[in-house]
Amino acid sequence: MNIQKNWPIKTIEKADFPEQLKRITNCPKKLNYRGIWNNKIFDKSIAIVGSRRMSQYGKWVVEKFVPELVAHKFAIISGFMYGVDTTAHKETLGCGGVTVAVLGGGLNVFTPSENEKIYWEILEHGGLIISEYDNDFLPTLWSFPQRNRIVSGLSKDGVIVIEATMKSGSLITARLATEQGKKLYAVPGPINYSLSVGVNYLIKEKGAIMATSPEDITTKKLSIYQLSIDNYDPLEKEIIKYLIIEPLTTDELAKKLGKNISLISQKLMIMSMENKITEDLAKWRTI
Amino acid sequence: MLTKIWSAANYGLKAVEIEIEVNVADKGFPGFSVVGLASKSGEEAKERVKTAILNSDFEFPVARITINLAPADLPKDGSFFDLPLAIGILASNLEVIPPPEKSYFFGELGLDGTLRHTRGVFLLAILAKENGIKNIFVPRECANEAAVIDGIKVYPVKNLHEIVNHLNKVKEIVPLHTIVVDDEEMAGPEFDFAEILGQEFAKRALEIAAAGGHNVFMVGPPGSGKTMLSRAIPGILPPLAETESLEVTKIYSITGNIPAGGSLIRQRPFRSPHHTTSQVGLIGGGSNPRPGEISMAHRGVLFLDEFPEFTRASLESLRQPLEDGFITVSRAIGSVVFPAQIMLIAASNPCACGFLGDPKKECKCNLHQIANYQKRLSGPIMDRIDIHLTVPAVDVNKLMNDKEKYTGETSATIRSRVIKAREIQKARFTGLRGIHDNADMKNKHLKVFAKLTDSANMLLKQAVNKFNLSARTYFRLIKVSRTIADLDNSENINNAHIAEALQFRVREE
Repeated sequence: MNIQKNWPIKTIEKADFPEQLKRITNCPKKLNYRGIWNNKIFDKSIAIVGSRRMSQYGKWVVEKFVPELVAHKFAIISGFMYGVDTTAHKETLGCGGVTVAVLGGGLNVFTPSENEKIYWEILEHGGLIISEYDNDFLPTLWSFPQRNRIVSGLSKDGVIVIEATMKSGSLITARLATEQGKKLYAVPGPINYSLSVGVNYLIKEKGAIMATSPEDITTKKLSIYQLSIDNYDPLEKEIIKYLIIEPLTTDELAKKLGKNISLISQKLMIMSMENKITEDLAKWRTI
Repeated sequence: MLTKIWSAANYGLKAVEIEIEVNVADKGFPGFSVVGLASKSGEEAKERVKTAILNSDFEFPVARITINLAPADLPKDGSFFDLPLAIGILASNLEVIPPPEKSYFFGELGLDGTLRHTRGVFLLAILAKENGIKNIFVPRECANEAAVIDGIKVYPVKNLHEIVNHLNKVKEIVPLHTIVVDDEEMAGPEFDFAEILGQEFAKRALEIAAAGGHNVFMVGPPGSGKTMLSRAIPGILPPLAETESLEVTKIYSITGNIPAGGSLIRQRPFRSPHHTTSQVGLIGGGSNPRPGEISMAHRGVLFLDEFPEFTRASLESLRQPLEDGFITVSRAIGSVVFPAQIMLIAASNPCACGFLGDPKKECKCNLHQIANYQKRLSGPIMDRIDIHLTVPAVDVNKLMNDKEKYTGETSATIRSRVIKAREIQKARFTGLRGIHDNADMKNKHLKVFAKLTDSANMLLKQAVNKFNLSARTYFRLIKVSRTIADLDNSENINNAHIAEALQFRVREE
């Protein structure tokens, strides 16, 4: 596919901003952007932020939440950095949704550089690339947290935090979101994961809404996810029984089931081929 | 007076007969010179021989001594001609009578006249047998190497005195008995698989690799047991056949790696060079070509830990020998072929800090570092590895608590299955040159030897779509499933075999 790269840079004044952005403290006077600006984009919009060092779990969460949100016609706003941001943009594009990226640098600076392709794809899909900085401004340590107020400020329906350590930019965004009076969602994680400490803290101490499924955000249930294992054979049922509790390696499963390793590994592979389970980093989990 | 003594020099993996002419001239200014392309260590023989003769209470002639090593155009590496030199000089001095029939003398002298361990004795013995030489005189410490070869008399020599007494028939040295090779006798491996707790999946993968001669790539955090697993592999490989054992012994003899008193190498080699090893150290070379680690691991396991840390050049240089099973080193004087039929076991951390994907510890690398680390591994070298394996971290507490629950199979049990699978392959590939095991199969052989059942074919096609498998991965997968089927003693490859093989595919992001 030939991607068009000659999108002009335009400027929008504060007066033309969506209402929710105008209201925030420290609101920028103007914004530079590429794409076709339409305030309707932000009428139903939600920001997704999270760690740059996303884990497989974080990826899984993004891939589970974004399609559902896009199906409900949410525009996804994020910060274009690698990790959760990039995955959220990518996943939205993959689902045919509209996504808005707020950069920590100027519009002519591609940070991270490997994301250049996504940059143009976002525009191609009717999204926006926004920056409050001069077009050739190189991002700095302070400019990333500064643009976070715009990420949360633009969102109408709240901010979702997926994975964050205690000292992360995502927690800054979360604080700003509360100050701006936005709804704050956090997806919890295991308590021994460093990447979950931040989000769990938001739920426990900062009154974030615990989001364990996309329905917690969309409020209306579109699809009911239920595991139907009635037509599985006995060994498959047993495997699922263990995997529902926690992801396991082939070794651990074979030991729990008391079965030969080769037999179990064959079974697991066939189950994954039938989309009954999935594997990442040597661990099997239910879909 | 001119005396002729015979010895042998090593070139590549062959010994070449050397005629050593020692001339002690009464006329001319006293001196000592060696001609005939001796190396530095050979040049220094002058000092060693002179001192050894004097310290052994023999007379050193005050005369013009000229030594010629023939053929004169072959570079002679090493210190092996100390002994023939000393004998030649003593003979021209009439202190010793050289044997009437042609014999080989071989060995390095210490300053006190004792003979030291010298590399290449095994090859000397082979040459002696080929040339119909009856007697060879070698240092006592490495005489057992030569004693494997029958039909020659091997005299273990302790020092100059002993050999002079022997040649003068004052006190004879008793030649060694020929060592008979016993197929059963073999030292155990460093680790037994039963000693390794858990990691059953990895063990199964290594069993398959051993059965089909597949190369393996293991990724896992530090402490997950990659090194221990690798060290246990020689124990599940079939024992060295006699011919294989001779090949390995040759290489070990030439590099001086046979310990004092040792003879034939009966155990499959396990080599684990450090990642800073130079390219020459890894694949062999040098002005007088010496085998590298890849040849030292011939018929055994070459374990490359911290695989991405090896230099790019070193890794790339492995490609050709991995494909061909030998390495050709060409020099101005000629080329030398070193065998290199190895099973490559490469191990790596998932990222530079080692904790990517670890549930407990945080990975400290940024995305750039991770990409860079993994990029070093991509490319043609990975294409020569059939089995890709993730070795997860083990929970030490868990291991300690249910220690008694782990009753892993012993290496001997696994090995018996491997041997059976290898026999099936041997029968399958008789008459095909250069193909010994499933890993050696080329794509055209797969059509003939790797028949898939219809449902297996279906599953494979599904997998190709689901996982986006490349053509290369596809063929590797069939090879591995062929081995799994062999372990299962099954003529055709069925669903289960394909499913198991699929777990060893390269995970492409």
